[in-house]
Amino acid sequence: MKVNGFLKDVGGASRVTKARLAAFAGASAIPQGVDPIGDVAREWHPGKLELEVVSIRPVSPTAKTVRFQKVGGGKLPPFYAGQFISLDFVIDGKRISRPYSISSAPFEARQENGFVEITVRKSRGDGFIADYVNDTLQVGDRLMGNMGLGQFYYEPLRDAKHVLALAGGVGITPFASMAKEIAHGTLSMDLTILYGSVDSHDIILKEELEKLQGEHFRIVHVLSGEEPDWQGERGFLTAELIQKYSRADTSYFICGPQAMYRFLREEIKKLPIPARRIRFEVFGQAKDISAFPGYPAQKKDETYTLTVRRGIHEDKIPARASESLVVALERAGIGIDTACRSGECGFCRTKVIAGDYFVCPENDGRRAADKDFGYVHACAAYPLSNMTIKIPIE
Amino acid sequence: MKFYKDHYDVIVIGGALAGLSSALMLADKGLDVLVLERHNLPGGIATSFVRGGIEIEAALHEMMSIGPEGNRLKVGKFLEDMGVNVDWLKVPEAYHASLPGLEVTLHPGLETFAREVDREVPGSFDKVLRLLNLCHTVFDSVNELSIHPMSKPMMLLKHEAFVKTAGYSTKEVMDTFDLPEKARDLLAPYWIYVGSGFSDLPFTIFSVLMADYIGYGSYIPRKFSHEMSLKMAERAEQMGVQIEYRQHVEKILVKDGKVYGVRTARGDEIHADYVVSAAYPNKVYTSMIEPISQVPPKAIQMVNGRRLSLTAFSVIMILDKPAEELGIHDYSIFRGDTMDTDALYENLAGLGPYRYLTCICHNFGNPDATPKGTCSFSITTLPRVDGWKSVSADEYDAVKHRVARQMIEDMSRYYGVNLLEHVLEIVIETPMTVAHYTGMWNGCIYGYAHTMEDHIVARLQTAEAEKFIEGLEFAGAHQISGDGMGPAVTNGRKAAKNILDDIKRKEAAK
Repeated sequence: MKVNGFLKDVGGASRVTKARLAAFAGASAIPQGVDPIGDVAREWHPGKLELEVVSIRPVSPTAKTVRFQKVGGGKLPPFYAGQFISLDFVIDGKRISRPYSISSAPFEARQENGFVEITVRKSRGDGFIADYVNDTLQVGDRLMGNMGLGQFYYEPLRDAKHVLALAGGVGITPFASMAKEIAHGTLSMDLTILYGSVDSHDIILKEELEKLQGEHFRIVHVLSGEEPDWQGERGFLTAELIQKYSRADTSYFICGPQAMYRFLREEIKKLPIPARRIRFEVFGQAKDISAFPGYPAQKKDETYTLTVRRGIHEDKIPARASESLVVALERAGIGIDTACRSGECGFCRTKVIAGDYFVCPENDGRRAADKDFGYVHACAAYPLSNMTIKIPIE
Repeated sequence: MKFYKDHYDVIVIGGALAGLSSALMLADKGLDVLVLERHNLPGGIATSFVRGGIEIEAALHEMMSIGPEGNRLKVGKFLEDMGVNVDWLKVPEAYHASLPGLEVTLHPGLETFAREVDREVPGSFDKVLRLLNLCHTVFDSVNELSIHPMSKPMMLLKHEAFVKTAGYSTKEVMDTFDLPEKARDLLAPYWIYVGSGFSDLPFTIFSVLMADYIGYGSYIPRKFSHEMSLKMAERAEQMGVQIEYRQHVEKILVKDGKVYGVRTARGDEIHADYVVSAAYPNKVYTSMIEPISQVPPKAIQMVNGRRLSLTAFSVIMILDKPAEELGIHDYSIFRGDTMDTDALYENLAGLGPYRYLTCICHNFGNPDATPKGTCSFSITTLPRVDGWKSVSADEYDAVKHRVARQMIEDMSRYYGVNLLEHVLEIVIETPMTVAHYTGMWNGCIYGYAHTMEDHIVARLQTAEAEKFIEGLEFAGAHQISGDGMGPAVTNGRKAAKNILDDIKRKEAAK
């Protein structure tokens, strides 16, 4: 191979080596450990923060809003209105985490001594943590929280300028955050909330939200129960009602109970809405896993032995077929970090080494290669035999 | 509760491609290896995520050094040798170049490529092919010399082209070929995969880039880069490697100039004879070595004397129409308003608008990449870390959206289709996203810039003198071979080889 023209010199390697050594020799010996890009990443996502309950107030006869500040004060991380916080509750020495949509606004978190709020409704007896928050949690209590999680927020590069929020019950919370941010002038979108409740006593954050109405925000209450004096909309969030409050280009954001999701999926099908305009908040932990097609109902009352590996350590714990692996771990007091508890975020990604399991089809956020190698999101996987799993060390 | 053994032969910090390659090679030789990864899955940015039920590639554009079945190049061969069997799909073309006065799709194969350039720039065939052949000769030498070092006279005899071009930049060598401007432009688009302007990019690096990509084409795993990462991790575990996720190593423990273990954020102190760090030397030498007094001034000078290279900004979209209906016809589209790489490198120092964009439509490499009736389309620029260092947490979202919008609007103009009206899912990855998930120093995915002052040939020459702490090796883009997923594997193997050589030396001394 003949090399072109002037490239005759063979000293290139020595020359570049000298240049490199000279550059090092001329460099400062004072450490410059600055990572400003990493610092911004850590400011947005600092991981778990220690939070203190600073106030609790009723926002309907059955729901309370709990306000948290960072222990030691200061700003809280930025987040997008609509995102959630994962809170670790320690009850009887066991850590149980739950995701809650943040009902306060991002700008409120970014103030000095900023705060975040969650709004939680008392359950009908099936919501252990919901009832704990309503009945037991006190001002001054401290717990760990990881905030700014989830994908349910307004994305101007994807969503229509006008968002019609279809909210049911406590599903109002992400939209409350958006409404406050809009009213504050720091979120550029038009929001109409169609808020379904049973009766007017049932409406959460009623006064707070009605007060915020203006050019870019409006809330419309829809009652499904008998209430003779009610002047507003009635019934369910039907296709007809959705149509009435839509504009030519509208994105539909849906957050509410699981039954409402099932109902709305059918209603929305009746309308000519492109798929890209429809966004559901995550489904949440399945209320009754045995009701899902594909789940072997005869196994639902079984309890299996779950062998749990963390590093070289191994534990054996009971695991009910009707509960996710995460619940089994929490019951046994084995820490596992979760966030969305809907199979989406992957915080609880777990390797199944042996055994059969069922993955909730509503919450199957697994990657294709993960499926091939038996990785599951433990919040969405249910044991169907004795199992061995490996989880991260917490 | 005891989660770790009392002692490991090697602890690898970081379970991405480099770290896993080290682990595989060390385990293959019977060493007891622990991998600690801060995220909940392997691969670093060689990963995927699921949005709205659709799996989306996070970072991989195209893998180099894989080669066709039966004729694997070094990375493809290493993975096969280790028992990591990735389902590789061949990327159909080299790239579609969309440059001033040029709209050309070029294909791999040195002659094919030269012929296609000639069709656009008649009469350029001989020169282009001669340049590509020179690249290939240098490439062969680099590959051989990285395995079999030899004396300088021997090198000159057997690797003349390599030796004679080593001291020159890509621009200097290209100038001697007297190529028409358009032919030069068509040879330049891959520059972004090595990230330096041609007047500062060693010709050696350009040669490897062109010979590998143009000579042999590129590949992607069928199930996204997560398939590759996960198969490497699974194979490593099969070979006895212990991998622990969500473990953040804070300190590397050193005594009398020699490494003896690490400490994690949860407080585990774990002991080993060797540590392989995927964390940048900048981070290791300024905050991870404990005690910090064990860091010699020369180590600090070395990191201060090097220039961080590129980070990444990607807008990744799932669009609600098949690619063809939107006018997208190629796997990769490289678009610039100039092909002056020095000017483009300057442009990368800012916060946009970026003048050079790289777009990937995965469906052309893998028709099943997204559900029927949709396609994936990503637009990437690889900025220098400099500009992004000035963005505060409060400005971050506005800057991110401004840049993303500019990029989408630019490509919309190009296709004559408003892509914003077709977005089913969108994810904007920024330098901060990289820093968040991987902990990479300043979100820098390219390591140190390939420059004439930090030349790969010089890196090879001085490697020995840059070992400042005994038993500590580095694996990642910040090592000799630099950036890219293929080179990550090579960098990881090098770290493992250094350890294996050291063990051999010590055994011989006994």
